[in-house]
Amino acid sequence: MKRISKFIAVFALIALPLLLTAGSRDAGAAETKKAKTIDELAAMYDSSSCKQCHEEIYNDWNKSLHARSIFGTGRTAATIKTTVEVGLKGWKYSGVKKAEDVELRHLMICAKCHLPQLADATDAVAKEIVKAAYTYADPKTSDSEREKAIAKLEKVNINCLICHQRNAITHKWVDGTPDRKTVYGSKNGDHPAPGHPKMKTSPIMSESILCGQCHGQGPNFELENPSQCATLYGSYLFSYRHDGGQESCQECHMKKSKLGHNMQSYRSKALTDAALDFHVDMLPHQWRDGSKMVPETRVQVEMVNRAGHAIPDG
Amino acid sequence: MTSKDSKGKEVFREIKTYMPIPHQLGRGDKMGRGPYDKSGILRETSLAPGKQTRETFMIPFPSGETDMTVTVELWYLPFGTKSDPDNAFLWRKETKKVSLEKGGV
Repeated sequence: MKRISKFIAVFALIALPLLLTAGSRDAGAAETKKAKTIDELAAMYDSSSCKQCHEEIYNDWNKSLHARSIFGTGRTAATIKTTVEVGLKGWKYSGVKKAEDVELRHLMICAKCHLPQLADATDAVAKEIVKAAYTYADPKTSDSEREKAIAKLEKVNINCLICHQRNAITHKWVDGTPDRKTVYGSKNGDHPAPGHPKMKTSPIMSESILCGQCHGQGPNFELENPSQCATLYGSYLFSYRHDGGQESCQECHMKKSKLGHNMQSYRSKALTDAALDFHVDMLPHQWRDGSKMVPETRVQVEMVNRAGHAIPDG
Repeated sequence: MTSKDSKGKEVFREIKTYMPIPHQLGRGDKMGRGPYDKSGILRETSLAPGKQTRETFMIPFPSGETDMTVTVELWYLPFGTKSDPDNAFLWRKETKKVSLEKGGV
């Protein structure tokens, strides 16, 4: 009996950590194999086959900055270099003395939003991205090398599988971890695509919280060294919703603007026209300073922000 | 905001900036700049959702003149300068000629 009790105790000691590990794996990203190169990461999240059936949506997305989220207009790539040069290399405890020292955890201060799937890659991919960003931003780089660097950085982005799979579920204890063979949208059922044979409803696909995962509330406190890019979602929650606003990000940036998956902001005339009332009024007159007339004009500018967030954010 | 006299010479210029002024590393009295440097908001002057922002400018007429041309421009400038077409966006522009009444008491 004593031997059986001892066996149970030993079994429990061995099994408990295994069960805990299995539990934490279920709660985290479904992908266990880490990408070792940008190409591997691009293949892991390859959404090019979506175009076969969703061509118009795919082409719309391809015009958006989501399609080049780590390169941006060039400013994002240049800011990666600045982050390393001015931030990481200058901080005593970052562990980064030269660009080659950058690890995944360092680059996540950008990639949390610009490339969230980088969490499914190794340090080697972070180093490859940093190297390409340096090549792009170096004024001595030849045009052909710069083009290669841009092409490399544009291989990975916020594509169909980020919003419709990886980030389609925020509350994994409630709704489960996204399944790599399923795409998430507004329907349940079979999905006639070899890599993704199922489709499921995402409870947040038309909710602002989907966008809020990246379009921020301020400092990203989950990082070892918080960064801050976007504050839009914070403004949406604590100002727009606070004052009774009810529309979602998707309603303005996709539906009313008629831009669909070509989600834009300040570069789109449709959105900038809708975002702001602007009125200028002038009153030329003569102010009387004792016996002296002083000619002047009053210029009054009235602006009303019609967007669901502050303009600008940051 | 600029105004010019009848010969096209600029006689008034004033710039107002609307933006969340980020707090450097969430401490002290300095503004942060890059995303790696910013944590929190030191001062907030951005246009708040649903709110009216009203600005009043008083511009004196150039000496001896009764006409003036006033231009108001609203730029969205996330980075760089207005001369950078990739980063500068003119959202609104209004130009009006203002004149004093001639005659009177």
